[in-house]
Amino acid sequence: MKLTEAPRRILVIGNGIAGQTACDSLRAAGFDGDLTIVGDEPRAAYSRPALSKGLLVDGGSHALAPPTHEAAEVLGVAAVGLDVESRRVSLDDGSDLPYDGLVIATGSRARRLGGEDSVELTLRTLDDALVLRERLAARPSVVVVGAGPLGMEIASAALSAGCRVTLVADGRPMLSHLGPCLSDAFAAAAVARGLTIVVGSAAGIDDARGVVLRDGSRVAADLLVSAIGDIPNTEWLAACGLMTGGRLEADSRGRIGPGIVAAGDVAAVPTRTGVRRIPLWSSAIEQAKVAALALLAGDEAPELDFDPYFWTEQFGLNLKATGDLPAAGEPEFLLGDSPRGPSVMRWTHDDGHGVAIAVNHRIPIPRLRRMASAGA
Amino acid sequence: MRIVIDRPRCEGHGLCEEIAPDLMHLDDEGELILDVEELSEGSPELADAGAAVRVCPVAALTLA
Repeated sequence: MKLTEAPRRILVIGNGIAGQTACDSLRAAGFDGDLTIVGDEPRAAYSRPALSKGLLVDGGSHALAPPTHEAAEVLGVAAVGLDVESRRVSLDDGSDLPYDGLVIATGSRARRLGGEDSVELTLRTLDDALVLRERLAARPSVVVVGAGPLGMEIASAALSAGCRVTLVADGRPMLSHLGPCLSDAFAAAAVARGLTIVVGSAAGIDDARGVVLRDGSRVAADLLVSAIGDIPNTEWLAACGLMTGGRLEADSRGRIGPGIVAAGDVAAVPTRTGVRRIPLWSSAIEQAKVAALALLAGDEAPELDFDPYFWTEQFGLNLKATGDLPAAGEPEFLLGDSPRGPSVMRWTHDDGHGVAIAVNHRIPIPRLRRMASAGA
Repeated sequence: MRIVIDRPRCEGHGLCEEIAPDLMHLDDEGELILDVEELSEGSPELADAGAAVRVCPVAALTLA
């Protein structure tokens, strides 16, 4: 890209870790022009992984180190439209902001069992987490719908708070995330700690306390929490002409259109298993680094080469995983002999890519990554 | 400026190392080693340091 084409005024929409990392990466790459970051929450960026882990369990900190990139902050304001011709983003306070370069990092929101306005609690934002923690402190009986990592972490935190907890699972817990071996291990640990698992598919809710299953049965408790996935925040882009089949699809450098990149939970990116969203903290960071450089250097910027890293803490188990999940079949044990740990396990996919997972064993993640690929 | 680690908080995720491998790394036990602690004002590494401390999901790092 010729220097004359380099943007002088970059606008970042979204104040999560993707937006923040994009700002840092732009500065690290030498961008010294105007930088503005817009966030719909009226507060500094925070650690989202901490919400369902430390914060919910023991009030641990969610604060991130304060920014040093000196972007102008516009907080408590949401983007409502993008005009790619005039290169302006309109905001819900009636104003609009111009850009030469745009980073789309508006993230995603919780999918709700009963639709957008339903009354169940979800866990996505800091406010959500603070409300949930306060409710759990009264030790209500709890129904958690959703047996992915987030639902399991919430169930674990609720048990730790002294609640009676029922998990509505539409299959084996975390099966599609971790594979059968670890699904079984985590389900066993959860049941051993007192979790009741009801296998069934939730059809909806009938009031703030009751989940109706597809077989007609009902599971009720004092408090209803759902963790059934996320919806990317792309509504403000609906009319801009950049969406592909309802999705915001980025190329291998995070590019969406001329002078526009996207990063984080909002974006679908090319992966070894197709173009898809990877709503993970580590993924948002890697995408933001790549997208920021692409905005400045175009084709000369490196392509996304993301090797997923995921971790969870629940029911006394601490898991760290590198590589493309789920892990099929039985593992090779590199340390220990039980998936409930302490252990390090490896699986090798048919295409030669590996997965390495440590349970209740502290290991440097760069080394875990090397272990994942060493089996190929 | 100075990179400061709150060691009891560190869980060894290593995201900081991935963003700033010239400034810090995890050792064989998964303990974070700061290879550079002091950064002068205007140092080109400050932006990397800022990014590295911010990606820590347990806020174990700060720039002071």
